Amino acid sequence: MSELRELSPSRLAWLRFRRHRLAILAACFLVVLYTLAAFCEFISPYTPEQRNVRAINAPPMDIRFVDAQGQFHFRPFVYDLKLTINPDTWMREYEEDSSTPYPLRFFAKGVPYELWGLVPAERHLFSVDPRGPGYIHWFGTDSLGRDMFSRVLYGARVSLSIGIVGVGLTLFLGILLGGFAGYLGGIVDSVVQRITEVLQSIPTLPLWMALSAALPTAWSPITTYFGVTLILSLFGWTTLARQVRGRFLAMREEDFVVAARLLGANDSRVIFRHMLPSFSSHIITTATLAVPAMMLGETALSFLGIGLRAPVVSWGVLLQQAQNYQVIVMTPWLLLPGAFIVVTVIAFNLLGDGLRDAADPYSSLSEK
Amino acid sequence: MSQLLKVTDLCKSFAGQGVVKSVSFDVNESTTLGIVGESGSGKTSLVRSILRAIDPDSGSVRYNSREGWQNLNELSAKALLPLRREIQMIFQDPFASLNPRMTVQAILEEPLIIHGLGDKSWRKQRVAEILEKVQLDASSASRFPHAFSGGQRQRVGIARALILEPRLVVCDESVSALDVSVQAQILDLLASLQSELGLTYLFVAHDLRVVREFCDDVLVMYAGSIVEQGPVAEIFENPQHDYTRLLLSAIPSPDPDEKLEPLDREGLLLE
Repeated sequence: MSELRELSPSRLAWLRFRRHRLAILAACFLVVLYTLAAFCEFISPYTPEQRNVRAINAPPMDIRFVDAQGQFHFRPFVYDLKLTINPDTWMREYEEDSSTPYPLRFFAKGVPYELWGLVPAERHLFSVDPRGPGYIHWFGTDSLGRDMFSRVLYGARVSLSIGIVGVGLTLFLGILLGGFAGYLGGIVDSVVQRITEVLQSIPTLPLWMALSAALPTAWSPITTYFGVTLILSLFGWTTLARQVRGRFLAMREEDFVVAARLLGANDSRVIFRHMLPSFSSHIITTATLAVPAMMLGETALSFLGIGLRAPVVSWGVLLQQAQNYQVIVMTPWLLLPGAFIVVTVIAFNLLGDGLRDAADPYSSLSEK
Repeated sequence: MSQLLKVTDLCKSFAGQGVVKSVSFDVNESTTLGIVGESGSGKTSLVRSILRAIDPDSGSVRYNSREGWQNLNELSAKALLPLRREIQMIFQDPFASLNPRMTVQAILEEPLIIHGLGDKSWRKQRVAEILEKVQLDASSASRFPHAFSGGQRQRVGIARALILEPRLVVCDESVSALDVSVQAQILDLLASLQSELGLTYLFVAHDLRVVREFCDDVLVMYAGSIVEQGPVAEIFENPQHDYTRLLLSAIPSPDPDEKLEPLDREGLLLE
């Protein structure tokens, strides 16, 4: 007889989550993206402000293994770009010059930087020898000749972290206020409910705009960052607070909670040992699904020019350059940050779906 | 036999609607008092008011604790804490009354932790003892409630109520959610624990056959008031109140040929 093993609820949830292939994929993608964002100084070949005047509005460069003569090289390389001005249209046109390959170097010294603003370093994951004339712009450059790949990575750090920090604040406010309302009931409940109703009845975008416009322009980039996060989460907590309140109200009468109180457990024990764990999975799911909303909020504000401002780099700030239709025709690679936003938002939604199914004890364990 | 509990003029209303109306009764130590009545007659509100799971509006609940008589109704939540060790409750629903996220070990240990009793190894040993007492396997301790059947869960619920060595145990419909054969096992267990530990039970039920079997005294409730109380034999043999007669007439017979003919509710003067 095979031995019967006892599976804990969290283990069962993990088994259910594993069935959700898309959610696993999304989780892996997000882990990679967050790692890239965390080490963006090391991974990007340039700093976001560095200009390359020889490559203004340059298109994305191909990283090659096979040269023009059809020969395979073990070390990848890029070809130089040759700028020509089209005499008819006066447009800058770049052409690959296959006579001068620039080999890529890995973990080599390049532009000096400070990792997380603390650790001075100068090695980059990949680069082209900065002492020579070569350069590498995998995602092309913008109108000032700044490397888009580096800027997208630096922007990822801001955009992705604003989602997490904002949701953290939202969760804190939502659980605290919703918990108070649900557990204490009475007048506290009424006050929180009325505030929630008022906040939910105001259209968010105009309100964000009004508040963001009130942020002093003299604020440092980091203060503005937290200001914007605060604005986004001040209006995001209401839905979660409602849910937490409902759960608390229902759970207060739950037999095992009454049992704990009759055993003499104090309020904090009842809340933290019995009530919160029973819907922590629900909270995690809600939080995961709230991250993309937060990111989209930041992007929307920055795109409209009232959220984060240059020199801060975020995906929304990067997209400001793509506001006119000329960009779409002539330098479509400036839209790449938009693609990152779309993919990240989709990934978060898929992950949230997977978590929701995993948290539901009644969803099937079998293959779908 | 000494008195353990003395309830006087207990009242509780919800939204102006009286649910428990001036109820008084006494309970002697090591006896079982059955509380019967139809759904909505106020049985559960009555025992929950005694336990202070809900706060009664007026009246007194005097309890003869190890430190002498105390009025539970007047004590603050803090002063009530030591008495929580002496008065415990066994719930109706064996599924809802156990936290699904805690192992049996954690569930049974919690009362000891709350009351600051013993160290880790002592608590572990105590849990093993109590599991044996309710006839559960020692290996149950590491399992989660969802791995047990209803009867086994109810045993865990009983173990949780008994681990603090209480004197008064309130059983709120504790066997009505179980099927009949399991009911008998649980009742046997409760009876043997009573004779072993000298427990006093407040036994809320709507199944009169169970009450006749299990209780010494019985208290019949209707619409928040007590209509009749006395020893089980007396009440069952010679009911005085119409409502009690109605209840007794509604007990189905084990003989399938015998037709159940409950008394006509309309024909009785219940108020």
